[in-house]
Amino acid sequence: KPLLSISIEIMDVELGYSLQPVSLIALLPHAHFLLHSLSPSSCLAMCSQDIRNTVGNIPMEWYKDYPHIGYDLDGKKIFKPIRTKDELDEFLDKMENPDYWRTVHNKMTGTDLRLSDEQVDLVHRLQQGKFGDVNFNEYEPAIDFFSSEVMIHPVTNRPEDKRSFIPSLIEKEKVGKLVHAIKMGWIKPRRPKETAPKYYDLWAQEDLNTVLGRHKMHIPAPKMRLPGHEESYNPPPEYLLTEEEKLAWEQQDPEDRRVSFLPQKYSCLRAVPAFSRFIHERFERCLDLYLCPRQRKMRVNVNPEDLIPKLPKPKDLQPFPTTQSLVYRGHTSLVRSISVSPSGQWLVSGSDDCTVRFWEVSTARCLKTVEVSGAVKSVAWSPNPAVCLVAISYGETIVLLNPGLGDKFICSATDQLISSYEEPEESKEQSVQWTIAEGSDHEHGQRLILKHPKAVRQVTWHGKGDYLACVMPDDNSSLQVVIHQVSKRRTQNPFRKSKGMVQCVSFHPIRPYFFVATQRYVRVYNLIKQELTKKLMANCKWISSMAVHPGGDNVICGSYDCRLAWFDLDLSTKPYKMLRHHKKALRGVAYHKHYPLFASGSDDGSVIVCHGMVYNDLLQNPLIVPVKVLKGHTITHDLGVLDVAFHPSQPWVFSSGADGTVRLFT
Amino acid sequence: MSQLQARFFTENKKYAIDDVPFSIPAASEVADLSNVINKLLEARIADHKHVEFDFLVRGQFLRSSLASHMDTENISTEEVVEIEYVQKFTAPQPEECIMHDDWISSVEADSEWILTGSYDKTARIWSLEGKAVMTMAGHTDVVKDVAWVKRDGLSSLLLTASLDQTVLLWEWNSEQNKVKARHCCRGHAGSVDTIVVDPSRTKLCFISLAELKCLKTVFSLSVPTEEEDEVEEPNRPRKKQKTEQLGLTRTPLMTLSGHNEAVSAVLWTDAEELCSASWDHTIRLWDVETGEQKSMLTGSKVFNCISYSPLCRRLASGSTDRHVRLWDPRSKDGSLVLLSLTSHTGWVTAVRWSPSNQHQLVSGSFDNIVKLWDIRSCKAPLYDLAAHEDRVLCADWTDSGLILSGGADNKLYTYRYSAYVSDAGA
Repeated sequence: KPLLSISIEIMDVELGYSLQPVSLIALLPHAHFLLHSLSPSSCLAMCSQDIRNTVGNIPMEWYKDYPHIGYDLDGKKIFKPIRTKDELDEFLDKMENPDYWRTVHNKMTGTDLRLSDEQVDLVHRLQQGKFGDVNFNEYEPAIDFFSSEVMIHPVTNRPEDKRSFIPSLIEKEKVGKLVHAIKMGWIKPRRPKETAPKYYDLWAQEDLNTVLGRHKMHIPAPKMRLPGHEESYNPPPEYLLTEEEKLAWEQQDPEDRRVSFLPQKYSCLRAVPAFSRFIHERFERCLDLYLCPRQRKMRVNVNPEDLIPKLPKPKDLQPFPTTQSLVYRGHTSLVRSISVSPSGQWLVSGSDDCTVRFWEVSTARCLKTVEVSGAVKSVAWSPNPAVCLVAISYGETIVLLNPGLGDKFICSATDQLISSYEEPEESKEQSVQWTIAEGSDHEHGQRLILKHPKAVRQVTWHGKGDYLACVMPDDNSSLQVVIHQVSKRRTQNPFRKSKGMVQCVSFHPIRPYFFVATQRYVRVYNLIKQELTKKLMANCKWISSMAVHPGGDNVICGSYDCRLAWFDLDLSTKPYKMLRHHKKALRGVAYHKHYPLFASGSDDGSVIVCHGMVYNDLLQNPLIVPVKVLKGHTITHDLGVLDVAFHPSQPWVFSSGADGTVRLFT
Repeated sequence: MSQLQARFFTENKKYAIDDVPFSIPAASEVADLSNVINKLLEARIADHKHVEFDFLVRGQFLRSSLASHMDTENISTEEVVEIEYVQKFTAPQPEECIMHDDWISSVEADSEWILTGSYDKTARIWSLEGKAVMTMAGHTDVVKDVAWVKRDGLSSLLLTASLDQTVLLWEWNSEQNKVKARHCCRGHAGSVDTIVVDPSRTKLCFISLAELKCLKTVFSLSVPTEEEDEVEEPNRPRKKQKTEQLGLTRTPLMTLSGHNEAVSAVLWTDAEELCSASWDHTIRLWDVETGEQKSMLTGSKVFNCISYSPLCRRLASGSTDRHVRLWDPRSKDGSLVLLSLTSHTGWVTAVRWSPSNQHQLVSGSFDNIVKLWDIRSCKAPLYDLAAHEDRVLCADWTDSGLILSGGADNKLYTYRYSAYVSDAGA
């Protein structure tokens, strides 16, 4: 019995035991422990033999189809008891057997078991949560060994540990670590709690300006007009409409009517009928509210200064011409064209008064005047410093002239070069006649005379000074541009077809390219391959002048519609920049050979000098800054500046004007 | 009214007064101070005549009231002001107007004669009274510069440089009034624009504006006798010139090259040193013995003309940006401008230091005005000589008290100035 009670106790305490075998009794939650614990002793007593099954805790239905139910300790099969009971027998048994309630089925052996009174009692006690042992007194008086009373004999006679009276090393170590951490600042003292109550401004995030703006933006709903005298049931007679007025009112469109109803007079308030247009009026009011604008659209405030691109100050881009220094007076009519000698000491100007004048740049002295038989359209000084030749075009003629300025040896060498020419054996028929000037023309310096079939407008030299291109503008002719070779006295017509009226031409300074400007386009031809390389679209109506950057990759075009187009040939065929600084048509543009400067002259009498920096770096676009407007020329016959040219070495610009002067700005 | 403590002193012993401080009103101007000095002198010297004085406060001319001058110059008014007084430089009086046939490109005068070069291809000698004495026509082109070489007795040597790339050496006998071309100097491949003779009168140097290689050539003038052969130089094997009827041809002794652009002016600073100004924005100093460049001063604009004063050892340059700048040629490769005198409105084409006064110079400009400067008052010129009707091309001083200027209006003006000595009458 005590054994049983202990085993029950263990079971109560440790539920882990539920893994232990058998759960025979479905009725009683703890019965299988009970049975199991009973089995070695009391089952032995109950049954004659020990038929303990050794299969372990397995689902017993595995043995469903076998005749045995497991194996006993000796390894012999335990056969299932012959059970003949069916449902009916079971039921009858339940009805008739008085001990049926205390019979349990042992799954392990397949036998029925009848519990004794004691066992039943034990089960009851366990069910009630009592100790299994009847005789066990759970309320026995407890003996307090460790009381407050100090006895003369200790409970244990163990001497006190040393660690109980010396300071703890571990604690010391821990405290030391903490102290170190505090010193190093790894541990911070707890921040004192803020006692002040925490509030926050709900509208703190809101910008005052937006609030004000919202208030400013607020548009109140449109108010209804207050009723006036005409709405009265008894209006003063002047508000009542006469017959004609009524007729007119009816004929008017409802939108045009001044008042939307007819004022009517009633004798008393009681006589006023229901207002027939009530729904109508309400609907209109609703429409008013619905369609009224609720938001004010604001224009964006842009500072005009911000829209101007950031450019360096002209002050930082010096040197550039700033003031008029010299005026070259002498011509009596407008000066169409100017050109500076390669040395920069002489200046040649051609005018409509049929003269060409040579000037000393530094003193504005006219050193030489050559008269020709027509208005001079264009002059060009040969860029070759080893020869001294000036090409002059007037009428249908180009004259190559040796002005005899500068080094005498160069002048005589030039004359020798021209006179030493030998006629080749087979002379081709050329469209241009080359003749040698004789007589008084020769004394004036004229050396070669080229007669063209048409009027020549422009002459320009190749950089080497041997080739000379001239323009004979004509709308439908293929003979508009011819290129002369001075050393061989040959003339070529590079183009077979006309692509429009040619305005001006220019040679590329380095490569064998040839620029031809027609009214709207600039075509770039490769002279070696004889093909069109590029076609630049100028976006303007009529090109007047053109200049090629000494580097050769940039071109500027002036046009009669007041624009100057800068082309970057590497970038695009469209203008990189359009400058509209002039008020009237541009007549001449020029690049400086060394300084990053270009100038444009216009009919408004001004020359505008711009800083045009071209970088070697292909990634960097040219920097274009207008730096100076130079005024000086008087406008004559609506013409101002006709040509501009830069000094070859100094940042000086020459301009020729319709007032018959050439001016130097430095 | 506030008073100032001032002490007056002068270097002219004739006008010395007691060295004691005076209390003078702060608002007093030049005329008031001048009166004060005159009063003091009258008290000292019995027969004192009234003299106009000019006043210098710390080396700067007083041009406004004393108080405002000291305010702008940041001089303390608490201390005694040292004021120097000098006799007032009286305005140059226009004297002669000598008409030419064409523009006057250059002028050089000495105590008796005026030599001018003109654009009508001749050089002329005039007396100081404006009488034409001699015309030298030999050049085939515009005469660009003229120079006296030496004058001993009645015969004198002079040089003319021309656009026809030659320099002619003339001998002029003033008694017989005959002129003869002695030598023709060639070597330039462009017009010869400036010609200078060294102080020892044995060498000359001329330069050309058009020269692309920017050469500067030194010619020997040593004993120019007719028997002497051409001076042949191995370093300059130019084409042999046929001796023209004008005289013997001479070729250069030395060529100084280094400028990148046209050389516009040249001068001798002493017997061994040449100074040249160029359009490449530099002034270079050359050692003539070795032919090497000694130092370089860099400006920012084209130089038109330079002048050197041995008295104050400064260079004055006129450039295309209307400023007259003063340089110290002894500074090593610095480009330090000591002073810039700004009053012109056009290119400055002529500057010339006074031969006798270390503070004064004249400048002529394309704005038709000749200005007389005292470098002690750099804000404004002393006097504007506005006689020309066209651009001024040249200017000169003489020791004898003349300022000359010639220009594009074909007129040579002479002005008589009085130095400190009041012999011309105040």
